[in-house]
Amino acid sequence: MRRTTSTLRLGVAAAATALVLAACGNSGSTPGAADATDAGSSEAPTLSVWVMGDSGANLEAAVKPFTEKTGIAVDVEAIPWDSVNDRLTTAVASGKGPDVTQIGLSQLASFMDGGALEDISGKIADYPNLASANFPSAVSAENLNPDGGVYSVPWVSDTRVLFYRSDILAQAGFAAPPATWDELRTTAKALAGRGEGQFGYYIPQWDAPLPVTYTWQTGTDVMKDGKIDLDTDGFRAAVDHYLAFYQDGSVPTASDFDQTTGFISGAAPMLVSGPYLANAIKEQAPDLDGKWSVSPVPTDSKGTSLFAGSNLGVWAGSKNVDASLQLINFLAGPATQVAWYKANGELPAVTAAFDDPALADDPLVAVYAKQLQDSKPLPISTAWDAANAAILETLNAIALTGADKAQSLDALNQTIEEINAR
Amino acid sequence: MTGDGGAGGSLLGSTAVLHRRRAGVPAGQPVGRRPARRSRLARVRRAAVPYGFIAPALLLLALFGLLPIVVAAGVSLTDLDIGGLGHPDTIRVIGLDNYRRLFEDAAFWRSIQTTGLFVGLGVPVIITVSLAVAVGLNASRSRFFRALRAFYFLPAITAIVAIALIWGYLYNSQFGLFNQLLGAVGLEPVAWLSQPGTARVAVALVAVWRATGLNIIIFLAALQSIPPEYHEAAALDGAGRWTTFWRVTFPLLRFALFFVTVTTLIGWLQFFDEPYVLTRGGPVGATTSVSLFIFKNGFSLNQFGYASAGSMVLFVIIASVTVLQLRLARGTDD
Repeated sequence: MRRTTSTLRLGVAAAATALVLAACGNSGSTPGAADATDAGSSEAPTLSVWVMGDSGANLEAAVKPFTEKTGIAVDVEAIPWDSVNDRLTTAVASGKGPDVTQIGLSQLASFMDGGALEDISGKIADYPNLASANFPSAVSAENLNPDGGVYSVPWVSDTRVLFYRSDILAQAGFAAPPATWDELRTTAKALAGRGEGQFGYYIPQWDAPLPVTYTWQTGTDVMKDGKIDLDTDGFRAAVDHYLAFYQDGSVPTASDFDQTTGFISGAAPMLVSGPYLANAIKEQAPDLDGKWSVSPVPTDSKGTSLFAGSNLGVWAGSKNVDASLQLINFLAGPATQVAWYKANGELPAVTAAFDDPALADDPLVAVYAKQLQDSKPLPISTAWDAANAAILETLNAIALTGADKAQSLDALNQTIEEINAR
Repeated sequence: MTGDGGAGGSLLGSTAVLHRRRAGVPAGQPVGRRPARRSRLARVRRAAVPYGFIAPALLLLALFGLLPIVVAAGVSLTDLDIGGLGHPDTIRVIGLDNYRRLFEDAAFWRSIQTTGLFVGLGVPVIITVSLAVAVGLNASRSRFFRALRAFYFLPAITAIVAIALIWGYLYNSQFGLFNQLLGAVGLEPVAWLSQPGTARVAVALVAVWRATGLNIIIFLAALQSIPPEYHEAAALDGAGRWTTFWRVTFPLLRFALFFVTVTTLIGWLQFFDEPYVLTRGGPVGATTSVSLFIFKNGFSLNQFGYASAGSMVLFVIIASVTVLQLRLARGTDD
């Protein structure tokens, strides 16, 4: 009998331990004890930095001058774009994050909502490179932090422009790339008439920002008083523009159409994409040089494009806020920004860096820089992610499966209402 | 049915006899019981010992099996999202609202339909194909057939990402090998992964290809454990190959068949890997299974409460289907 009870007691104790352990895991989810902040500023700390994608090695090289000057070591961890959200949620839940993190603009809302970022508005004045005036107005501090405070600063920028095959357009009798929506549609239709398997334009079925930029180009915003609003003439015009290419048979319907391959082969001689496509073309088809170029996106009443890119922020509860800000300040310096462009191919976020000959003398960069002047980031709100998915699903269903347009748009507006209410 | 029961019984009987012989126990005497008087304390202690042995396993099961289910059930009653994760004080308990929203969500019903379609397509095909291949492989034990066995098992041990990459290239509508082969014989190209209907079949095909290897091994093991005497007896009775298979071999595979059916069915109800890596649930949501629906809401949109509600529904579906199967199996045993 005694043995039984002791076995039982052991079991209960073990179960209790398990529960306590589980509880510990939970209590850790409140990130950042404020009193721990800046404990290590007296001696040179080691900063842990998250960088997204495959730029880890380049960043390690880029921060060497910083470490030599300040003695602050930097430990870089590269996180694949696909697993950023997983890492974010685990870090927020466990309260264990890096000191500094790159934040893709499309994920900024999740980072801020999860309380992953430190408000640096009180300290930013000490770091001249981080002043809001250094960056394009699209990513000014007010635009990036709709609820006040400063939780991140721009690091690299990215935009969407029209890529076109000048050789194919010339053959079809078009001397210049289309500059307006109507020209884009007629040019695309003419080019699609080249034969079987040839298209005029390409709409990536996963490209959520595309219908939004179309809406902006009509002069309409997709947000109204902090709520998503798609029940507008501007959005409906954008939808018609989007669907027109499918009605004309100007775009491929295959969801696995590869835009780089399609552009190089000429099957899709026009498309809207970012500087990364230019890098891919130069790498995969150097002999295509001179047969393609970029121009600002075709306009309706406006020529607004997407402002993408990444910010840098200090993790909430980091013990090295000052050292982290020193690093971010270093990375936002015009010279570092130019060096980063040369090493990693990402456009600077700092306006002044575009004056450097390395960028100013590149005709492609001139177009990017011009487009960046008229670009906006997607709404910074977690509700927007759900809206994004719903917009794409609706448009693709109309375009590809022949769903009724009026009904589908009504259903979309209902979904948006539900998302707004959440 | 009585025939199978008899065969199964005699199979078990013969193994029991074997054990007795090895242990040196004369036939007819029950194994393992020693006639001895014990005090009450000792008897209780003896009764407790088994619990001691299973306690670690039970504890692990409770910790990693039951606790997450309980947590998910709790989370499914809240509006937990990334904001709630960062600021636990903002989490609201919203009762059954997530479930209400789920049952009104057309995308969720579509994912259930899609999963049902995948189950209906995949499970019978996997069972038939792996059984057929196993029977074929059982025909000989030569080196060539052993090599074939390894060949069929290969997909089961290959990383899913590598599989997705290769099959993605094979299926690609611009430069895929399949369409080039079709073109070579003068056939129209097929939009393997980019037309809702074909994409479902294409994705299911990869999953079938990947899952048959393991099931072939299970069937093969079961086939090889059938004593050759049965087949000899059937041959003496003048039974042909076909009759022997259906009347002798197939009934003796009942346990293997049951095991394969249960595990395959559960696997397909949780169908996730292949559509996730090949199509991300597209085109136009055609390959979004329930698991993928849950994943998208939970890990792309960070709606942990809503996703938990979805996973509870999936859990209930899988549990009911499995219990039903066990019931049916017990019915045939009697």
